[in-house]
Amino acid sequence: MTSGYIGVSVERDDLAFLDGTACYVADVDREGQLYARVVRSPVAHARILDIDVAEALAQPGVVAVITAADIPETRIPIRLPMAETPYTHLFLQPPLAREVVRYVGEPVAVVVASDPYLAEDAAELVDVDFDELDVVSDILSATTQGTPLVHAEAGTNIVATVPLGYGDVEAAFARADVVIRDRLRMHRHTAVPMETRGLLAEMDHGTGVLTLWGAAKVKHFTRSALSSMLGIERHRIRLVENHVGGGFGVRGEPYPEDFLVAFLALRLGRPIKWIEDRAEHFVATNHAREQEHDLEIAATADGRLLAFRDRAWCDQGAYVRSQGILPALLPALHLPGPYRWEAFSVETRGVLTNRTPVGTYRGPGMTEATFVRERMLDKLAAELRLDPAELRRRNLIRPGELPFSFEPAPITYESGDFPAGFEHLLDEVGYDDLCKQRQVRRASGEHVGIGFAAYTEIGAIGPFEEARIVPRSDGRFVVHVGVASLGQGVETVLGQIAAEKLGVPMDAVSIDHHDTEKLADGFGAFASRSTTLAGNAVALAAEDLRAKAAARLDVPAGEIRFVQGQVREPSGRTIPLAEVGEGRGRFDKPHPTFSFGAALSLVSIDRETGLVKVLRHAVLHDVGRAVNPELLRRQLAGAASQGIGAALLEELLYDEYGQPQSTIMADYRMPTVEELPDIEVIVEERPNTANPLGVKGGGESGMVGTPAAIANAVADALGVEGARVWRLPLTPDRVREMLRHH
Amino acid sequence: MKPPPFAYRRASSLEEALRLAAEAGEDAKFIAGGQSLMPLLALRLSRPSHLVDINRLQELGGVHQENGALRVGALVRHATLERSPDLDGPWQALREAAALIGHYPIRLRGTFGGSLAHADPAAELPVVSTALQATFIARSASGEREIPVSEFFAGPLMTVLEPGELVVEARFPAPSPGTRSVFEEFSPRAGDFAFAAAAVVLAADDGGRVRNAHIALGGVAAIPVRAHEAEAALEGEVLTGSAAQEAARLAAAGCDPSGDAHASGAYRKELVATLVGRALSRLREER
Repeated sequence: MTSGYIGVSVERDDLAFLDGTACYVADVDREGQLYARVVRSPVAHARILDIDVAEALAQPGVVAVITAADIPETRIPIRLPMAETPYTHLFLQPPLAREVVRYVGEPVAVVVASDPYLAEDAAELVDVDFDELDVVSDILSATTQGTPLVHAEAGTNIVATVPLGYGDVEAAFARADVVIRDRLRMHRHTAVPMETRGLLAEMDHGTGVLTLWGAAKVKHFTRSALSSMLGIERHRIRLVENHVGGGFGVRGEPYPEDFLVAFLALRLGRPIKWIEDRAEHFVATNHAREQEHDLEIAATADGRLLAFRDRAWCDQGAYVRSQGILPALLPALHLPGPYRWEAFSVETRGVLTNRTPVGTYRGPGMTEATFVRERMLDKLAAELRLDPAELRRRNLIRPGELPFSFEPAPITYESGDFPAGFEHLLDEVGYDDLCKQRQVRRASGEHVGIGFAAYTEIGAIGPFEEARIVPRSDGRFVVHVGVASLGQGVETVLGQIAAEKLGVPMDAVSIDHHDTEKLADGFGAFASRSTTLAGNAVALAAEDLRAKAAARLDVPAGEIRFVQGQVREPSGRTIPLAEVGEGRGRFDKPHPTFSFGAALSLVSIDRETGLVKVLRHAVLHDVGRAVNPELLRRQLAGAASQGIGAALLEELLYDEYGQPQSTIMADYRMPTVEELPDIEVIVEERPNTANPLGVKGGGESGMVGTPAAIANAVADALGVEGARVWRLPLTPDRVREMLRHH
Repeated sequence: MKPPPFAYRRASSLEEALRLAAEAGEDAKFIAGGQSLMPLLALRLSRPSHLVDINRLQELGGVHQENGALRVGALVRHATLERSPDLDGPWQALREAAALIGHYPIRLRGTFGGSLAHADPAAELPVVSTALQATFIARSASGEREIPVSEFFAGPLMTVLEPGELVVEARFPAPSPGTRSVFEEFSPRAGDFAFAAAAVVLAADDGGRVRNAHIALGGVAAIPVRAHEAEAALEGEVLTGSAAQEAARLAAAGCDPSGDAHASGAYRKELVATLVGRALSRLREER
């Protein structure tokens, strides 16, 4: 029995975000709080000879100044250990630089004052004597002979090498009619949420509990990390989520500031507040994406893909942060995509440079891999004089071949229908008609182009999530989960699942994800996992609660109803809801789910100025089953908008000395409403056979194919010169450059 | 991104503002709309000891046309120019340029005098003022002087204004009959500073021949520059497509922009040709 909430676009309760009543961490104030200002390195690579804090400490309002000498020797641990080497720990970041600074923006000291203005004034007076060292300013020079070492003690700038293989590559290449090869480059960019990061820590001397407000994404892991770094028990640390103004993968990982703010609250015995400013965000928060690939594709003359070889250099920045070597691993896992390859071999390398460390940003690895592969497929289609849509049609894995595995590579596609999804996209946008329009517009002198991308999106990464449903005597149900809200509407989606499975109205359910106190474990909100992991856990918890209630009345679980604080069975017997206890559910997911997505873009180019305009942009995603279709559509549209920014505008530039060139919003160009078309969103629902709800991830998909589709559309619009599209973003200057050299 | 300390004084008359600035010494700055100065303060790139707020000085407002000449008060907001329908014909470039400055909330606050005094080489109003041959009236506690636009800008974010000296008005001389002006710029994104900008002013005589062409370029040098060779090539010519194309080519050839991380010098040069070409073709078509 259900109340019919799953699959319905229930309106989310987001008024607080619109009417100004949302409570972000910056809105939380505690009695007697002090303000922290981080002193950051102005140079990319230098030995610290001396730090003189005396003048800063003497300033009005200043309570403390700390440097590495004041904190324990500790480093931020890796949250998702995968394929690390025995020496990976050498690259982990200490909260404050001890002897060497390795990127502009690295924390060197912290000033604590009674007022944030005074803290910033005093921070300027911390006098650091640097002995500058040679700089590794880009990924390719990171591995050349005689290059400076970012971490001298490690003896190498290579953090990890990820080899991945399937089938007999040599044999497949030997049979090829066509082999094309090229170098492709994805650039450094990152998430720029409207709300910057921020933290407030307070020690309650009565209970001995340290509370940290401003947690997000992975609060249980951050608690464990702080516990080991600070040397206090986990149960004495409480992390609280506030309203969040955007996460996109970068917010909520344990950063140096998480340790520093907590440490200072313990050391000084007063609440410590730190709010990142925008200039800090651009150098302190994880960067993403920069990598270069040498890719080689083998195919037959009739357009059958045989094999590929890829060698890639993936920037890790100056340290390995909490996401470990994912910047090198995730692209490797996504290079094959939704196509039937006979063989491939991949070797990605995580390399160090003297720049802000790299983490994950919405669609990590998959966006880069999709750009590289899909750009090459269009080159192959051009070489074979084949419609790029037709090339993809011929090679997409067919539903009868699922589940499909590239073993020994850890890539398995569980369910779906890739060719049907692709055709669905073409039908919805009217591909044939679009091709005719392109011809007409070109005949009238316009430079328009169409581009595609098809891809797989990894999601629903485990290992597990738990849920706890606590009935209350007033007839309401509180659902405790370990995932996090980043503004994506997870409360609404989990509320729909709980209400439907309990058979109660949605307003009888409240979702509590805010507090590590309420649920012992949780892995958080990343990798498009919340609906699959927490959703199934909530469904199981609801079943558990129904079973317990039914057992009390000795009837089958399907026969009981929860009504007005009572459990009722068909003959009218009741017991109070509060006597039932609580429902518990745990959903384990040892293997991730890959779901299918595709994007199509129509662009025009002003050949005089080089300006690219996106006329139409469509994304399709197979989500298995859409719990709330409208929320999903908005997520896909939001992600695609970020993808358009990545394709055309946004770039974190550095000069040869490792100085960042994009540290204000005027220099880091995000798309505004003027640059964005109405994103067309198509949701496919091909139930996932690997979980009871039949759902798959979907939060990142809009991003994954967008840069690739736009790059292919620009190449198509450029005509002959389109072959030169090898890197992003396609700024007007770069487009003109491609035209000029012709 | 919090400003270092400064003293703040709000003036209620021009005399008071000038006196306050004189008293505060050479590290004082006037503040009006704050659309350039506030970000500089937040980034600690500017560290004035005092800010003298002139927002309440009504005597600095107003756009006046008299005997064909135009006066624009220093406190006139960009949005006011943008919404002045009588700024047409010779003054149309002013209205067009104002509409391209930043985003609407910026235009509601930003002022004419502020944009001039800030002297960003890519800003719109310095370029239009150069093409329209403005003269700026500068006042200080010790007196008043007139500064022609050609002498006003000293470099990127630098002018010849002395400490305590305030631009109170821009005066534009009466143009010859039949003068028209247009403004073109290119930025990669709506509201950004232009990679390059061009203001073109010209009149046509009875025979349709170009007289008094003035072409000013922004974003291509340390200060706004005139494209003298292109202007000379147009003088006395009928504004045909090929004449326009040649002038556009000369305008680009005559400048030597440097590049930055976002736009190379070669690219900016190409943009100059494109923008001057587009401005001239609009002047051809819109007559």
